[in-house]
Amino acid sequence: MIKKLHKLFSSVKLTIFLFLFLAATSILGTIIQQGLSMERYKTLYSPGVFSALKFFNIFDMYHSWWFTTLLILLSINIIVCTFKQVPRIIRLISPEKKEFDDTVFKSSQIRKIFQSQKKLSDIERQAEIIVKSLVGPPVKTAKGDAIYFLAEKGKYSRLGMILVHISILLILAGGLIGTMLGFAGQMNIVEGEKSDTVALFGGKGPEKLGFDVRCDDFTVEFYETGMPKEYKTDLAIIDDGGKVTSGTMRVNHPFIYKDLKFCQATYGIAGVSDFLIGARNNKTGKEIVLKPDIMKKVPLPGSNASFAIARFVTDHGGMGPAVLGVLLEPGKAHDIFWIFQDGHNINQQQKGGFIFTLKDFSRLYYTGIQVSKDPGVFIVWIGFCLIMMGFMLSLFFTHKRIWLKISGSQDKYEISIAASVSKNRKAFEEKLEELTRETTVE
Amino acid sequence: MNDTFLISIVTFTYFFAAFVFLISIIFHKKSVDKWALIITVAGLILQTSAIIMRWIHSYQLGIGHAPLSNFYESLVFFSWSIIFVYLIIRKRYPNKLFGILSAFFAFLILAYASLSGNVNCTIQPLIPALQSNWLISHVISSFLAYACFAIAFGTSILYLLKIKMNVSMLPDAPFLDEVTYKMISIGFVLLTLGIITGAAWADRAWGRYWGWDPKETWSLITWLIYGAFLHTHLARGWRGVKMSLVSIIGFIAVIFTYLGVNYVLAGLHSYL
Ligand code: HEM
Repeated sequence: MIKKLHKLFSSVKLTIFLFLFLAATSILGTIIQQGLSMERYKTLYSPGVFSALKFFNIFDMYHSWWFTTLLILLSINIIVCTFKQVPRIIRLISPEKKEFDDTVFKSSQIRKIFQSQKKLSDIERQAEIIVKSLVGPPVKTAKGDAIYFLAEKGKYSRLGMILVHISILLILAGGLIGTMLGFAGQMNIVEGEKSDTVALFGGKGPEKLGFDVRCDDFTVEFYETGMPKEYKTDLAIIDDGGKVTSGTMRVNHPFIYKDLKFCQATYGIAGVSDFLIGARNNKTGKEIVLKPDIMKKVPLPGSNASFAIARFVTDHGGMGPAVLGVLLEPGKAHDIFWIFQDGHNINQQQKGGFIFTLKDFSRLYYTGIQVSKDPGVFIVWIGFCLIMMGFMLSLFFTHKRIWLKISGSQDKYEISIAASVSKNRKAFEEKLEELTRETTVE
Repeated sequence: MNDTFLISIVTFTYFFAAFVFLISIIFHKKSVDKWALIITVAGLILQTSAIIMRWIHSYQLGIGHAPLSNFYESLVFFSWSIIFVYLIIRKRYPNKLFGILSAFFAFLILAYASLSGNVNCTIQPLIPALQSNWLISHVISSFLAYACFAIAFGTSILYLLKIKMNVSMLPDAPFLDEVTYKMISIGFVLLTLGIITGAAWADRAWGRYWGWDPKETWSLITWLIYGAFLHTHLARGWRGVKMSLVSIIGFIAVIFTYLGVNYVLAGLHSYL
């Protein structure tokens, strides 16, 4: 049983299966929106489909029991495989024995033997060139009648794969710590107000921070097109003891307090007030300024009508902020029409002998903050750094080793070459052929 | 001169380069191949100038940012990356077919960028979330990865043609196999870097490095498929054909990550 399990978990086939299976199932969560409320799902799917999806936890599938199980299986797979490779890698990178062992000339990955009738000094020079241009500067040793040349390079590249595999485990562990011990959510705070509660994502309810967060100021800058260019919030944290820590949070520049990160995510208008409505008399050309509150009627000087604002919208049909004005003339039906800011002189604004414009109003913003706590993030960053280092080691460096032995005696020297490389074997062999061609005399 | 106009010249230059590569294959002429290379390099230089010009122009408009921030700019950079990667690997794998493939691929992408009605080529201001240096490194590494995968996709198709239909003018199967493997291992590293820099950006912007939004999830799906590909080399019985299939499926996932998520699925990344 244990043997069978060991065999299963040390198999690369399981790895490939898990990779492809994780990939295939992950698609599901990109088609079915994640983390909506159950009520919402009930309206989206028929009852049968709904309960099936709910049973398999598809609505939060990346945190479901079965997805987690797949990740755990992958982790076991990595651990078993990597451990299996460790003895081989230790053997490959442990320092070479001082004693030359002729068995390498029979067992190595790449082997070549040939004779030469040149002078020994020529052969030695040639041998040095071969070893140097294939691997690197050789160490020369004489033993008995034979002369040995040895060169080795890049043995630590063998550690790359181990580093990559360990990093994956670190990243998974960091992710797990984050989901178990951390949280993420949003808080919206109106300028000048404060809050101590975060609405967690995924419908997990509110989280009390244990201190107050106050929005001291919110500012937003716009491009000419009306698109936001930059927005930021001046925040203050008011701790239990009344201690105040303040700072600024911009998009892409979070504000960090203890183990919490505050990111500027959104903003919006919490309310509007102080409307100034211009009413230009068509006949006299004189403009009067009205200051109506919403749903409060004001008299329109110079006529017997009165005016009120029914509603405000931040953007009406792409023409910017607008108010819905109501003109009340005695004995007539109410006249309801949109009023825009200057620059949008639309006919509708001419009502009851006046031209209306929305001259000014003040906005009260709220700032949308994403608050997160993730004690695993540090481990994940270490994993990210190590995985890149592991890739660099295994991608840009090759472990090459070569032994060259000159034996025999005058007029008939024998040259034996043994080599191993961790990759690009074909190119290595071709170069070896080319270098030895000049030496070989058959 | 306008950068989009330069890009339309580049588009035809790549088409012409592909054509000259084709001639050099048909007539087996070394000198023609050299001309094809010169045309390709000229195209790349022109394209690089266009990108720099656009960059400078955005500063003149007062909305300065690296030209890597909307769909049009990403298409231009994608085609740039393919030619760039081709020129790097050309020395090691001097095969004219790769020249045709890369130049033609780059041409197709640029033609789509310039001619398609739903690609807006004006320089747009950046919304605050996109104003990040992490984003620049994220886009560069992702698209270099995509370029490697595009070339591996081409060589996998050639491999299948060679094995299944024995087309004689193609390079031998083991060579194609080797190129596919090399391009995917380099692409995999770049994709990993792309995901990591993307995660760093998300962490700065939203306080979480990973949120399972569709674009993120699809990049992971792509990563898993190519990860499986890399390990197929180690599992016996997964040589050759099966490996090419994984590479082809991987490239479909790349395309879906790049385009499908925006057109088919909705998500946080809908601005690119
Ligand atoms: C997400 C998880 C994994 C990643 C990102 C990963 C990545 C890698 C990379 C980049 C290499 C080097 C490839 C090369 O040099 O050709 C490698 C090699 C290898 N991996 Fe994985 N791997 C993962 C999981 C696994 C698992 C679960 C196993 C267990 C079967 C495994 C077994 C191996 C083996 C045996 C090698 C070959 C080492 C060698 O001979 O040089 N890997 N892996």
